Amino acid sequence: MTGTIIKIATVILLMSFCSCRNSSVRQGGLTFPVADSVPAAEAEKLSEEAVADIVQNIASPVEIAAILQSMQIPFSAGYLASTQEADRLTTNFRKAVMLGIYGADLGYLNIYGKTGNSVDVLSAIKRLADGLRVGQFFDFETLKRLSTSKSNLDSLLFLSVNSYNQIDNYLRNNDRGSISALMITGVWIEGQYLATQVALSHDDEILRDRIGEQKIILGDLLMLLRPYRGSSEEYGSLYDMMEQIRAKYAGVKVSYKLAEPETREDKDGRLVMVQNEESIVEMTDDQLAEIAALSKEVRNKLISGN
Amino acid sequence: MKKRLLILTIVLVILPLMASGQPATDDLVSSCVLAAGENTTYLKDFRIQLPKASQDAAVPVYKANMYLMKNMKYRFCVCDSPESSGELFITIYDQGKEIISSYNSSSARKYSSVDFICNKTGLYTLWYSFIGGEQGSGVGVVCMIR
Repeated sequence: MTGTIIKIATVILLMSFCSCRNSSVRQGGLTFPVADSVPAAEAEKLSEEAVADIVQNIASPVEIAAILQSMQIPFSAGYLASTQEADRLTTNFRKAVMLGIYGADLGYLNIYGKTGNSVDVLSAIKRLADGLRVGQFFDFETLKRLSTSKSNLDSLLFLSVNSYNQIDNYLRNNDRGSISALMITGVWIEGQYLATQVALSHDDEILRDRIGEQKIILGDLLMLLRPYRGSSEEYGSLYDMMEQIRAKYAGVKVSYKLAEPETREDKDGRLVMVQNEESIVEMTDDQLAEIAALSKEVRNKLISGN
Repeated sequence: MKKRLLILTIVLVILPLMASGQPATDDLVSSCVLAAGENTTYLKDFRIQLPKASQDAAVPVYKANMYLMKNMKYRFCVCDSPESSGELFITIYDQGKEIISSYNSSSARKYSSVDFICNKTGLYTLWYSFIGGEQGSGVGVVCMIR
């Protein structure tokens, strides 16, 4: 009798755990992170730990687009990847990279309010996400509905970026870090392509800084890819291409000017901190041109698969 | 027999209650994004659930590493789940040095959000914890200010 009760209890316990997991995924609310108890004295170690930890925001699908918009650079559909590619992709490698590329394109479209044009990109994203078994995080119908009106832009931006974040979290939490790394690389290379192509024709200090500062980020991006570079020929090839981009950054200098920050309350009682310490990028036109050319080449190779 | 009944009660009644008592984090994320205000664009969210600090132990902290970029303005919002005992706050570190916190322990003042005008691209560490090491759950949302 005791054994039966224990068996029943075990089954119900397992079921309740499984149901919790499923419901959290359904809600998009992934499992909560494990608590990290870190004594304050160890704070200075964090930067080193940070490199080995999961790094957020290596590539944002909307930040580069927001910079371009703030520079009043006109929207150009010519920068977007063709959505016809989505149907030709057979490997998870290519699907994951393209999911990232289309994610950056969606951010570009949405930031510029070109929501009517985004349905094709959304459809391509949906097909790829389904192919990678992460389609449950894309509420395609809602996104499509929101994209029919510019008045829903904030909701559209939130839902689309949030969907990418959820996919990324889900992949990392389910031992599919290799797919997550590819998606992040796709977002990064498309953002880099957009930024460098615009920078070639519009001389803007903020944009140049952003491109030059990718030298800092590229190291972590390569670190994300490194564990998987031996897993397949295409992964190895991607890693080598990203290394080549990093090599182009060798002569770019990033220095720092120290200064004390200022903290104040704004009129709404919100705490505002102005960081006066500054990162300074030194990059020549030739360096920019070489980085732009190679970024474009790598991005096009990833899209064509050749 | 009483022992068996106790086990069954725990399994059938208390565990499902615990499960249903978990916060509807997506609703909380949405409301926290709304609380960030107009002219902001959502970038990331972090779902935090931390236990109460045990005696003589360090306060539980959830940490996340995030690249923040020069020339960008960020808003970091914190929102507590309705059933949370503790109040969530964020502290941002740059290379191990605290640069801003939404909670000032000396004045006991807590802000629901902090704005960070970033002039140095780099990897920053976000620490989320609950005031006084209380048990709690909530979300932290990062937006860029347009």
